[in-house]
Amino acid sequence: MSDNAKPSRWAWSATIALGLVVGLGSAWWITAKAGARGFENKGWTGSTLAGSSGADPWTRAQIAVRGLLALNKSQAIYLTTHTDSSGAALRADCRYRVSGSAMPGRWWSVTVYAADNYLPMNDDDALSFDATEVTPDASGQWTALLAPKRAGESAWASTRNAGNYDVTLRVYNPTLEAQADFGKIPVPTITKLDCGGAA
Amino acid sequence: MTRNFKLLLGFVVAAAAAHVAAVYTTPHVLMGLAMQRLGGEGGAVNRFAFGDRTTQNSRRVVRPSPDLAYSSCAYDLSGGPIEVSAAPSPNQGYLSISVFAANTDNIGVYDSLRSPQGIRFVLAREGQTVPGGVPVLRSPSAKGIILDRRLAPNAALFAEVDQARRADHCEPIKG
Repeated sequence: MSDNAKPSRWAWSATIALGLVVGLGSAWWITAKAGARGFENKGWTGSTLAGSSGADPWTRAQIAVRGLLALNKSQAIYLTTHTDSSGAALRADCRYRVSGSAMPGRWWSVTVYAADNYLPMNDDDALSFDATEVTPDASGQWTALLAPKRAGESAWASTRNAGNYDVTLRVYNPTLEAQADFGKIPVPTITKLDCGGAA
Repeated sequence: MTRNFKLLLGFVVAAAAAHVAAVYTTPHVLMGLAMQRLGGEGGAVNRFAFGDRTTQNSRRVVRPSPDLAYSSCAYDLSGGPIEVSAAPSPNQGYLSISVFAANTDNIGVYDSLRSPQGIRFVLAREGQTVPGGVPVLRSPSAKGIILDRRLAPNAALFAEVDQARRADHCEPIKG
């Protein structure tokens, strides 16, 4: 066949179909699977443009898939991590100590989400912990537990049936300083204690 | 132009068009689905629906917070502006009313920090006549969602704020 020959109808159809599949697939990957477009603070990621009219189309689509109806940063800041402080993926069968300090906002919470972006399917009534549940010491430091079972009296979020989960920190009514620079937010540290029911 | 170059060009154009179309339409499609789900039975518009306490079974919108009580009003301004009001929560607990346009943008938010006595405003499209004396928020789209979030991290607090939020209104302006 000559190199200058017209492509056949079949060749055009296959090429266009392949292009459509690649285009749709890349859009799905960017919105649903790729790393969050935005800011990172010690492994916690978030978008300064969440809910903002200034968001670019890709950021807007990503937030629509992963956090529809998210507030803009003047009202709430959302930061999410999939890993502990060593960089290892969070595991539902492990126990983690979460350590933090005073947050730059009126109220905050840490919530567990399964890979499908919904709450884990367990009935422990402990899908998050928040500012009202931790007991800060004199210097404002607090600890909480991420684990499949409660242990002790500290604040606890259940990871039972969470699979490959992540946790989201919400800071409501954040200070102007935090809004201006998410890097100023003292994000919690997540330290692995043990795994596989060693507790 | 060679045969292979024509096909490569066709592939690139098709891929780019599909990618851009999907990215632009995804927020609108998801927002439309959310409006149907949050509008309750029959897809009611311009009135608040009061959600149950958030649990592992809450599946209407992704990543809900179990610490908040949610109420929602799917709005439609094609018949004219609407008035929105929300009573404060007990003990001045956190309350916000946020307004989202059809493309998911959070076009306005009012909270109990700035409005401790309660929230009241008119939501209208550009050019619609509105009454005086009330703050006005202009929406770039005729349809969207208004969300009432109230701090309610346990069952007792949820019961308290549930009572307070029943005084919320989201309704067309009469007359």
